[in-house]
Amino acid sequence: MSDHQPGSAAPAVNFDKLVQRLDDAIQAMEESRSFARAGKLPRVLDTARRVLLQPGGCEVIEERAERLELAGVFAGTDWAEPGILLPTLTTHSLQSQSADTVVIEAFSELRLLAVARGHYLHPSVSAEQAHYYLTQVLAINLGLLFGMTGEAEREQGKLALISQAVVQYVADHIGYEHVIDSLIEEIWRILEQRPIQVTDVRRMITQIALCRADPQADLGGAGRGADRLISSLYGPTRACSEDPGTVVYQQRLETMDAQALQNEATGFARSMHDTGLVSPYHASFIRFILADQDTLLSEALGLSSTGRDCLLCYRELVHTLIEEGIYPETAQGIYGLALLLERGILYQPPVAPALWRQARLSLCSYARERLELAYGYQPQPGAWLIQGVLNMLGQPLGVGQGNNPTCQSARALSMWAYNDPDYLLQMVAWAARDNEIVMHFEGQPVSSARSVGGVASEVTLDLDPVSLVVVPHLDRIYVEMGRLCVGREGDPHKWVNPEFHGWSAGRGFAINVDVSTGKLHDLEGFIRHFYASYHPYYNGNQPLIHPQPAGIAVTDSAARFIGWHAITILRAALDPDGEMRIYFFNPNNDSGQNWGDGVKVSTSGNGERFGESSLPFEQFTSRLYIFHYDPLERGEPAEVNEDALRRVTEGVYRSWGQDRVPADALQAEPPITD
Amino acid sequence: MSEQKYNPEKGYIALLGWSLNAVEAADKFDRRYVVVAPDWAEAYCEEHDIPYVPWNFERLNDRSVEIAQTLKEMGVDVAIPLFEETVEWAGAINSVLMDKPRLFGQAMLLRDKALMKRRAQLGGIRVGIFEEAHDKGDVIRFLKRVNQTLLKLDGDPNDPIHLKAFDKAGCLGHRVIRTPDEVDTIPEEEFPVLMESHLDGWEFAVEAWIHNGKIAFLNISEYVTLGYSVFVPATPDLEKYRDQIRGEIEKLIKTFDIEFGFIHPEYFVTSDRTMYFGEVAYRPPGFKVFELLEKAYGFNAYQGLILAFDPKTTEEEIKAFFPKEVVDAKGYAGCFGVYPRRRVVSKLEIPEETENHEYFESHELTPPLEETVTKRTAFGTHWGLVYFFGEDPYVMRDLLKHQEDLDFYV
Repeated sequence: MSDHQPGSAAPAVNFDKLVQRLDDAIQAMEESRSFARAGKLPRVLDTARRVLLQPGGCEVIEERAERLELAGVFAGTDWAEPGILLPTLTTHSLQSQSADTVVIEAFSELRLLAVARGHYLHPSVSAEQAHYYLTQVLAINLGLLFGMTGEAEREQGKLALISQAVVQYVADHIGYEHVIDSLIEEIWRILEQRPIQVTDVRRMITQIALCRADPQADLGGAGRGADRLISSLYGPTRACSEDPGTVVYQQRLETMDAQALQNEATGFARSMHDTGLVSPYHASFIRFILADQDTLLSEALGLSSTGRDCLLCYRELVHTLIEEGIYPETAQGIYGLALLLERGILYQPPVAPALWRQARLSLCSYARERLELAYGYQPQPGAWLIQGVLNMLGQPLGVGQGNNPTCQSARALSMWAYNDPDYLLQMVAWAARDNEIVMHFEGQPVSSARSVGGVASEVTLDLDPVSLVVVPHLDRIYVEMGRLCVGREGDPHKWVNPEFHGWSAGRGFAINVDVSTGKLHDLEGFIRHFYASYHPYYNGNQPLIHPQPAGIAVTDSAARFIGWHAITILRAALDPDGEMRIYFFNPNNDSGQNWGDGVKVSTSGNGERFGESSLPFEQFTSRLYIFHYDPLERGEPAEVNEDALRRVTEGVYRSWGQDRVPADALQAEPPITD
Repeated sequence: MSEQKYNPEKGYIALLGWSLNAVEAADKFDRRYVVVAPDWAEAYCEEHDIPYVPWNFERLNDRSVEIAQTLKEMGVDVAIPLFEETVEWAGAINSVLMDKPRLFGQAMLLRDKALMKRRAQLGGIRVGIFEEAHDKGDVIRFLKRVNQTLLKLDGDPNDPIHLKAFDKAGCLGHRVIRTPDEVDTIPEEEFPVLMESHLDGWEFAVEAWIHNGKIAFLNISEYVTLGYSVFVPATPDLEKYRDQIRGEIEKLIKTFDIEFGFIHPEYFVTSDRTMYFGEVAYRPPGFKVFELLEKAYGFNAYQGLILAFDPKTTEEEIKAFFPKEVVDAKGYAGCFGVYPRRRVVSKLEIPEETENHEYFESHELTPPLEETVTKRTAFGTHWGLVYFFGEDPYVMRDLLKHQEDLDFYV
């Protein structure tokens, strides 16, 4: 008889038996008929979960990675095609509260590790691809790697141990140096786009700083490249290099001589323009010199002669904006202010008075609450909004839509900031002060207060202060305008886009999809017309005057259609290599995307300005489905040569147009074969 | 996708009812098969190319002969019931396929618990006291009379009686009644029911595969607690009755005139070694005993079922297929049916001591769909099974018993 009593301590796990059980479960799945295989999966997943909870568990799974995949554990899921997996999604599944999701993700990571180490010759992923993918997974899950757990892991309970074990096991075999270094690269890549919202970047940099400070984490030689990033936030100048805290720094400032202050000013400016990040010490410094050393301001903002000129003309306005809007918490506004001055937009007559209004704007309770919810109570919501306005006017291409389906509104904000700054300031005033925006649709007023739901049921808080306040209004108006088009034949963007974005958006409208059938429609004519309107070789070398809204069929890295997306075409020009490119603004938060079939959106290195995305003209055209033009200017369809035309058309057919080829088109134009 | 390669010399069988495990076992076996199931199974069968005939098993009616004719025209040799509800259909169909009208009567007998007990009694098999009840009054009368017979005085605690639906499988609708007050908790729509006296003894079940009127394989399943847990093979304490049990099963086969197929009876053995017959079913048992047998012995019990039903099976095939009882078992396989113990639950959490136990195999529990647990009124609706496997039957028994004290839903 057993002496096992109720309530006795949990017996130690017999690991060998457990592994035997896993092998049995995998075998049952292998031997199963395909129609019954799904029923065998839960036992595999649950047994594997128990194995993964034990020391040595990851190794056991890695050894069986090939068997598991062949048995069909990934069948019918995205994991079945490792070539298209996105490293960013792993965070979500590793933090999932569903045991099965965590285990499948662990299977996939360990499988790719086996591939990367050459133990498993995978039919669709090379060892190099697997290695690259895993370094990115590690970079994104640094917190797990170094045991820095947050709310998500707390919610997850014991499952978090599996996620940690897997990430750590992978790092042990891939090497920590790759992780930190690729994370640093990733941060630089994002910063090169100069986004307004840098909360995530700040968080990642903070994480690296914490890892480096932690004696437990052995980084080897890795992470040296992070110095510039960490110092830009925590110690950009000599007097604050050891991150003493703003109180101590303030005391140091009071004892500094003119030369020392001068050094501080140039130190701050250099760091800020280098990274696009602003340290809270920078704000302390600027507030300090404003009192009686304001000759240093131009130095501290790193202004060129244009910016300095502008500062001197509008000295009092700038002082007021700093006093009202720049605090250590809102330091990022300094960068916006510097760029705003550089743009010279204060010389447009309405802008300065509009900013005076902004500086003294009283906020309605709705705007106040949203700002407080997102940013806290210190400083006042009005200060946050000033920071937001400065950043948006300084970095019009840094606007992001956050985690919201409101690309249209984000695009509009960016377009106005770029093109029509006083109009943007008007919108901000109406939304923040009056809690109502009124636009006109074909003469009929459309009020945000009287329109109900927008595209987004709830606009999230991961936005810059201006978007936070204005987007909910714009989103409602946009949807209401769409509603007014119900019953009209064709795509509603035709009427909504020009009314919503302003007079400068072309009234002419071209679309290559038949709205009622969803099939492609006159693709060739569409392409010829686009070349005639936008391509300098075909439009008489006329640069684009106003930024134009356009619609993109976004595809994933396997060139599969994901959805329609709003962007702004900014210019078409030759890149440094002499290739014609379209430079555009994508309100998506990170524009460096792989759209499959060789189409990779570039954000730097091809002549892009901060915040611009670019693609070679043909590749861009192969994803375009809507553009606007001036109907009075419309020329003849361009004589685009057959080769270029064919390359674009085939790019469409190979990606989002795959299921949209109309039946008769195929007969009329048989695909040309090489 | 069906990948079956069947032997055309052997029988063509029809599975009545949808059971994925049975279909897979058939697909891996050498008998041609077809699944007869309600039309909701059609899409799945078509998608996976599983041979399929649609049929909704409602009550037998005038159209019932249609399915028998269809199967006959297809050349099917025998129909195998997978669920209690398809037992009478198998009887009706097989009586046509084999031209043996007696099979239908036999099936009806096996479907009605009251008729079944009478027939057993007529065959000289010992049964407890039982009676049919049509209303609550009948129940109260029976409870009083049983306790009078036991010479209980007023105020002595009553011996309980058991109530069971006539035609439901296993524990479904099974209630235990101790006092007249409890009678009020029985919903009207459950009547009529079968009432039985309580036997203080050891309840166990038997699974017997029958070929040419003889037992091909006999398993004894030991219940640790009725409705909670079972394991195979039984402990030596119960296995010592094997010869006596075999005798009882042979009596049963004779009394019910069973030539082929599979029976799953339940018995009580009292402290003086007397066996009482409880009931018998002509279909695979619930509580996944087939899966436990496969784990313990390594043979597929569904394939055994097909062999035992197929009229073209030879004696040699039977001998080669079934292992030797108890001695051929690689260990003891058991399962535990989980009922939430708390009134309000929010998540599934397998107790650490269970999960880390050397015997713990796997579980089929799913997260709770609702937070409030419905009060249990009858046996038989557990939330999922937990499987164990190990070498020692006593460790197994105590482990299964111990699970009753643990919370799986918290």
